[in-house]
Amino acid sequence: MKATVVIGFLGSTLDASKIGPSRWSKWRPSVALCMHEDLRVDRFVLLHGTPHLRLADYVAEDIASVSPETTVERHVLDFRDPWDFEEVYGKLLDFARSYRFDPEAEDYLVHITTGTHVGQICLFLLTEAHYFPGKLLQTQPRRGTADAVGMWNTIDLDLSRYDSIATRFAAHAAESTSFLKSGIETRNRAFNRMIDEIEQVALRSKAPLLLMGPTGAGKSQLARRIYELKRLRHQVKGAFVEVNCATLRGDGTMSALFGHRKGAFTGAAADRPGLLRSADTGVLFLDEIGELGLDEQAMILRAVEDKRFLPVGADTDVASDFQLIAGTNRRLTDQVASGAFREDLFARLNLWTFELPGLAERQEDIAPNLDYELDRFAEREGNRVTFNKEAREAYLAFATGPEALWTGNFRDLAASVTRMATFSPGGRIDRASVDAEIVRLRKLWTATSGEGDDLEAVLGIDRLAALDPFDRVQLAYVVAICRASRSLSEAGRRLFSASRARKASSNDADRLRKYLARFGLAWSDLQP
Amino acid sequence: MIIIDGSEGEGGGQVVRTACALSLVTGEPFRIANVRGGRDRPGLMRQHVTAIEAACAIGTATCEGLSVGSSEIAFRPGRIVPGEYQFAVGTAGSTALVLQTVLMPLLRADGPSRLVLEGGTHNPQAPPFEFLARAFLPILNHMGPKVCLRLVRHGFYPRGGGRIEVDITPAPLEPIACRERGAPAGCSARVLLAGLPLSIGERMMTAARKGLVDWPAPAFAIDELPADLGPGIVLLLERAFDHVTEVMSGFGRMGERAEAVAGTAARRIAGYAASGAFAGPYLADQLLLPMALAGGGSFTTVTPSKHSRTAASIIERFLGRRWSFTEDGEAGHRAELV
Repeated sequence: MKATVVIGFLGSTLDASKIGPSRWSKWRPSVALCMHEDLRVDRFVLLHGTPHLRLADYVAEDIASVSPETTVERHVLDFRDPWDFEEVYGKLLDFARSYRFDPEAEDYLVHITTGTHVGQICLFLLTEAHYFPGKLLQTQPRRGTADAVGMWNTIDLDLSRYDSIATRFAAHAAESTSFLKSGIETRNRAFNRMIDEIEQVALRSKAPLLLMGPTGAGKSQLARRIYELKRLRHQVKGAFVEVNCATLRGDGTMSALFGHRKGAFTGAAADRPGLLRSADTGVLFLDEIGELGLDEQAMILRAVEDKRFLPVGADTDVASDFQLIAGTNRRLTDQVASGAFREDLFARLNLWTFELPGLAERQEDIAPNLDYELDRFAEREGNRVTFNKEAREAYLAFATGPEALWTGNFRDLAASVTRMATFSPGGRIDRASVDAEIVRLRKLWTATSGEGDDLEAVLGIDRLAALDPFDRVQLAYVVAICRASRSLSEAGRRLFSASRARKASSNDADRLRKYLARFGLAWSDLQP
Repeated sequence: MIIIDGSEGEGGGQVVRTACALSLVTGEPFRIANVRGGRDRPGLMRQHVTAIEAACAIGTATCEGLSVGSSEIAFRPGRIVPGEYQFAVGTAGSTALVLQTVLMPLLRADGPSRLVLEGGTHNPQAPPFEFLARAFLPILNHMGPKVCLRLVRHGFYPRGGGRIEVDITPAPLEPIACRERGAPAGCSARVLLAGLPLSIGERMMTAARKGLVDWPAPAFAIDELPADLGPGIVLLLERAFDHVTEVMSGFGRMGERAEAVAGTAARRIAGYAASGAFAGPYLADQLLLPMALAGGGSFTTVTPSKHSRTAASIIERFLGRRWSFTEDGEAGHRAELV
């Protein structure tokens, strides 16, 4: 049988009573907790100060009378000021560290009903931190009676043990992850796991987050949802400031990011706070961070580490406390290796890195996202559009098939839905609309993919199939130059410009004609 | 191994105590599932743990699952060792209930024993000391053994701290028939009062006299005990006959009027006196076990309680002997071991 050990303060007020039999009509928590039929206290570690020695004697005697099973182990703990948090916490911590706990053989209950509020708070904190390896014990009197026994209950601070609380936590977390997914019932396991992790990191960490993934994978949308989730949980107050670094060019970059003082340069007619300042107490999302110059990277690093930076033309730092979310579609490691991205900034960003898979890698999520895009269209246009069954099946079969590259990811899907919806004035997308859209998508992806040349039109499918990829790239370039040139000579000059500069070749036009002839092509074939 | 469902019958601690006593006497192990399954707070309470620990101590027994709140226990008896024992039971626990657990086994031991029991002696949830000393033990001693009970210090609920001493000289239990109570041989009504105003005792006494008009005035008395034993107040009504004495009690409680407590107790003793039965309901409970161990016996009683029927069914499980309760005209019911 495991022994039960109670640790608690002697209550200098609550445990005190008149001397005499009337004390048994009063609820005295330290005595009362030894009077319950359903709680057997084998040892009671009673903490008290020197001024309360006599009360402790009296209480210990009464405990012996009502509970012969209980050994009272008295422990003198003197506080200069029992309301001083630092002192009380320190002394209780020393006590807890020196006490020989044996959780294998004993269950510990920490009685928090007696003592100063500061004492109770310290007991709570030390129990929560497992310095006291037990549960909290709370006792209370029965209302309206002179009952000496009262009531007791324990509180296990491991909240996962409480079904209703655990259920609510789970529901809350599910709500948050659903929030991050914009309510889309995604089924891709890797993506869902990533969202679960982001949910935890977003709510527990203020460190920078790095979202990697191809363009259109939803980095920007996810960054905004992370911000909104943090704002709902009162973790940020400020704004969500979003900027695509690829759009920042030249001299204006520094000023756009870090602001400037009036008169810092020509045209600086007024103070400009800059994006970092605007994101104070909020979230700054720097998309395509790999596009930033090295100087800007250095400034960003300092702003993240010190929460301070120097606006253009200013003499003193300004402060801004923001959480940074960075997005990139490049492999930053490659850029670090080539010296285009600062290693120290990368190290700072690389703590929480999440790689968003492209839509083609999330085939099982295409159907729920299709519904989401239809909803968005309806919201935007005030016009609800639906598929007929056959059309939907045909579209999804194509969308999840090997032909569907989804190179632009969600951007492609959104555009595709918008086109189909727009071409279906009856509000119903039918098989014909889908077939037409499939043709459009095919064309889109052949044009943008690695093989996106137009050699098929020039050579015909059979001759193209016979062509080595090695030659195809070169030929495609040559054909493109020819099409952009007004004459064979002009095309030849451009294609052989290096030889021409060395005067190694004089008849560029002839050289080009011979090259084209190897593929059975003539200049006229390449003119519109 | 005997398997008992603790929620059957009366569904309380009596099942546990009776089973422990019978197991030690018969050497038969038992398991109880759903311990005290019939109660609001099921499982073993402190006083049951103490009682089982006492049974383990005198009978070199082991008990699995023994802890407060436990709902299943397995008890394996050993050899009963007579000697000197001291058991202390906490606040609401009664010394009488610990005695009930260990007395029958110690009567089977091969030597005398001396027990010191500390805890409650006057507790509303259990028979008071006077009931054991004056109603139950005289009949038990009549069956052969010699059991002597002394009250050293009163222990009232909730503070406990009482003390009784028991001397036990074993002898084989002989069957007896207890059909006639004999001629009236006196009565007494006493209020024991400690640490409370005397006026409460007086009110209780007055109410008791109103309910027992045929009792002579000198039978009524108040015993004021030292205040430090209190608070506590109990009315003890004792009706003696040539062959049996019954004791009924009424405990004063916070929130209940002294007059109401005394009135109920007076009605109960008057009802017993008018019935013609040998044993009242509490005494009937206590007689079942020793008579069954004696191998025979009978007595008349009022309507058998659920407690009595539960005890009888546990006895049947261990001993294979059945108590039959039949209506018996004026005396009420007749209980007979068949």
